[in-house]
Amino acid sequence: MSVLREMIGNFFSRPVTIRYPWIKVPIPDTFRGRVANTDELCIGCSKCSLVCPAQVITMIDGPRDVVFKGKTLARKKRPQVDLYKCIRCGLCERHCPTGSIHLEHVHAGTGTDRDVRVT
Amino acid sequence: MSDPVFIFLYIFVFPGFLFLFAYAFFLAYLDRKIAARMQQRIGPPIFQPLADFIKMLGKEVIDPDGVDRRLFDAIPVIALAAVMTAFLYVPVSGASPFAFSGDLVLVLYLMAFPTLALFLLGWLSRNIFSAIGGIRAVTQLFIYEVPFFLAILTPAIMAGSWSISDIVLWQQHNPWLVFLQPIGFVVALIGLQAKLERTPFDIPEAETEIVAGPWTELTGRRLALMHLATELSLVTGSALIAALFLGGPMLPWVLPAPWMNAAAGFALFLAKTLAILLVLSSITVATGRLRIDQLNDIGWKYIASAALVQAGIVLVINYLWVVP
Amino acid sequence: MPEVVVPIGPHHPALKEPVNFRVIADGEKIVRLELDLSYNHRGIEKAAEQRNFIRVLPLLERVCGICSHSHATAFAKGVEEIMGLEIPPRARYIRTIIAELERMHSHLLWLGVAAHEIGFNTLFMWSWRDREAVQDTLEEMSGNRVHYGMNEIGGVRRDLTPAQIKTALARLPDLEDRIQKYVGMVNSEETMLIRFRGVGKMSREEALKYGAVGPTARASGVDYDVRRDDPYLAYDEIPWKVITDNHGDVYGRTRVRVGELWESTQIVRFCLENIPAGPVRVEAPKNAPEGEILSRYEAPRGELAHYIRTNGTDKVERIDIRSPTLANWTSVAMCLTGQNLADIPVIVAAIDPCLSCTCRMVVVHRRGGRAVPGTAAGESGHDPKSRQDGWRP
Repeated sequence: MSVLREMIGNFFSRPVTIRYPWIKVPIPDTFRGRVANTDELCIGCSKCSLVCPAQVITMIDGPRDVVFKGKTLARKKRPQVDLYKCIRCGLCERHCPTGSIHLEHVHAGTGTDRDVRVT
Repeated sequence: MSDPVFIFLYIFVFPGFLFLFAYAFFLAYLDRKIAARMQQRIGPPIFQPLADFIKMLGKEVIDPDGVDRRLFDAIPVIALAAVMTAFLYVPVSGASPFAFSGDLVLVLYLMAFPTLALFLLGWLSRNIFSAIGGIRAVTQLFIYEVPFFLAILTPAIMAGSWSISDIVLWQQHNPWLVFLQPIGFVVALIGLQAKLERTPFDIPEAETEIVAGPWTELTGRRLALMHLATELSLVTGSALIAALFLGGPMLPWVLPAPWMNAAAGFALFLAKTLAILLVLSSITVATGRLRIDQLNDIGWKYIASAALVQAGIVLVINYLWVVP
Repeated sequence: MPEVVVPIGPHHPALKEPVNFRVIADGEKIVRLELDLSYNHRGIEKAAEQRNFIRVLPLLERVCGICSHSHATAFAKGVEEIMGLEIPPRARYIRTIIAELERMHSHLLWLGVAAHEIGFNTLFMWSWRDREAVQDTLEEMSGNRVHYGMNEIGGVRRDLTPAQIKTALARLPDLEDRIQKYVGMVNSEETMLIRFRGVGKMSREEALKYGAVGPTARASGVDYDVRRDDPYLAYDEIPWKVITDNHGDVYGRTRVRVGELWESTQIVRFCLENIPAGPVRVEAPKNAPEGEILSRYEAPRGELAHYIRTNGTDKVERIDIRSPTLANWTSVAMCLTGQNLADIPVIVAAIDPCLSCTCRMVVVHRRGGRAVPGTAAGESGHDPKSRQDGWRP
């Protein structure tokens, strides 16, 4: 009988389904989304590339002078992320000493192009 | 009446096949929508059943290995034709022009065709799931058909006629049969639910147990036609019950113009079939599937006895109160 | 009617996972059952031996989608014990909260699946709708709906903010209300009782004999729960009770699960209200000393065991995962014999099978009966006949 009561109640109430592409759901602040790197902060330490469980971060050439703890460093490498293989575990963000590599709070998919990568 | 143009229009346009198809798709949509809303989902858009039908017509037809292709093609068509023919004898906006004394039996006979078709399909498919489904379909047929027939025939006994249109006319001057035979009405609804193989009687096509039962090997237009036959059965069945128990498309009084009578009758037909659909959909939503042995128990113990009791009561009433 | 072989799986609408039963049926009665489990050997144990302790946790989470936290916690717990680390109380409480939320979403999912197996799709839709609230809470806390990534060796990766605790507590009353409704439905709804009662009966002795674990065993009256009998995380500080039932059938398993749902809400509520302050992790050493441990954990499906052996490096030397489904399989094969063909899905679903987590490659030699884990052919490669026979359980 409780089923019948519930059915009638539901019939006259609004559906809970969210019509996704038209109505966006709010994303929590903790959401682990797309990986992004802030180039000005990155010191090229390769820590992210070492901890990545899916091994999607490769260090490529990216010479640049960055300021780290008051000292200017001449960085040689910077990380490149293959978003197609990324599992969004967030370990790179957890182990980054400067907070340069991070996960954005966006629901967006990776992309439609096989060659899309972020750096 | 015997005007060939009228007959042609009646068969093919209204209330014949064209209306029947449109209404079947609409009822299929409504059924899914009601179920969806009761489960707090959105449900399909209105043209979804039609779109499904057209899509499936265009799909590739795959012949299972070692299957008699011509028979496999013919069975869905036969099932469809049987149900379409049955609909012509059910009054929609007035008495059917094809009505003859005894058409009730013909309609019941034709309505049993889709189940037999499913059994044949299951048997022919050379697939273990289809075979089990076919056997279950025919087992279920033996269980629900007896109470269903008894429940449908009690109105005929009471009205003293074997013609659906005559029973409808009888109800014009007497109370609706649903008030005189409430048990029969309930049994007929349960029987219809079982005939249409909807939950809790979807044992032959139990998705989680035997994939799709007899439907497993159907593809393309065969599947489309078989689905259409089921949807048409829903219309025919609910129209039949509306006619037999709810007074059909007749007003208790006569309106001044014939077209007004027809329009009012049609509106009544729509309202009554929709009400029956609502009940059927609610049963579908509120229950899970029975097992075939449980259905056997329930069917013969309770449903068949209820139908027998109803028949007995009707005979007693008829004996005591001689119906005009 | 002669006996027919009904193949169920690896592609079957009732089983969304790769397993093959060859059900030998006589009409609608099941005569016997042949199981073939290892369709989806993914080599996770071998892959885990290649990765250091930081990188192995996301891999172990992916052993199972539903109980991802269970695997990660069981592993982290074991490695911490080898390292001799004491994790901060706040981290223990956060792990407990996530574990119990995971149990809730697993059991709600199971309730829906069990209803779907008997064609009662309405309950399926409803319980999955209510599961969304749990998943939303998990997403807010951990950043993801399925793979939470909360664990690391030495604590948890994310702290709970007061705002998160507040929203989680605000969601609980609704959820408790819904779960109370499900408790009522399971006990009184005729359409479920008729299909669940007396189906897949297993006595207490049989449950012990075939080594059933978790809700499957507790439904047969086996009063055993790792959370109470070998307390880990914060379970010894929380007031809660083990749900048991002595029906021993699918109905009993349903009752145990909805009972556990209710207990889980209470545990989550207690943890959220009494969470101690402090740090959420301690610095873990890179290498683990030599040692071996059997880490036990009560996953939603039953007792999960991780055997871990370390050798002084930053990787495990050997990890062996015994998922609860593997322990429950034999009891299913036993339950199914003599039952109705229509009851296969619901009996199989009653143990909440998680097959891809279970697939471990083990080749048993017929002669000698020696098990060789992790090798495809083993030594029997010379003898083609015994190699073919070796696959049959």
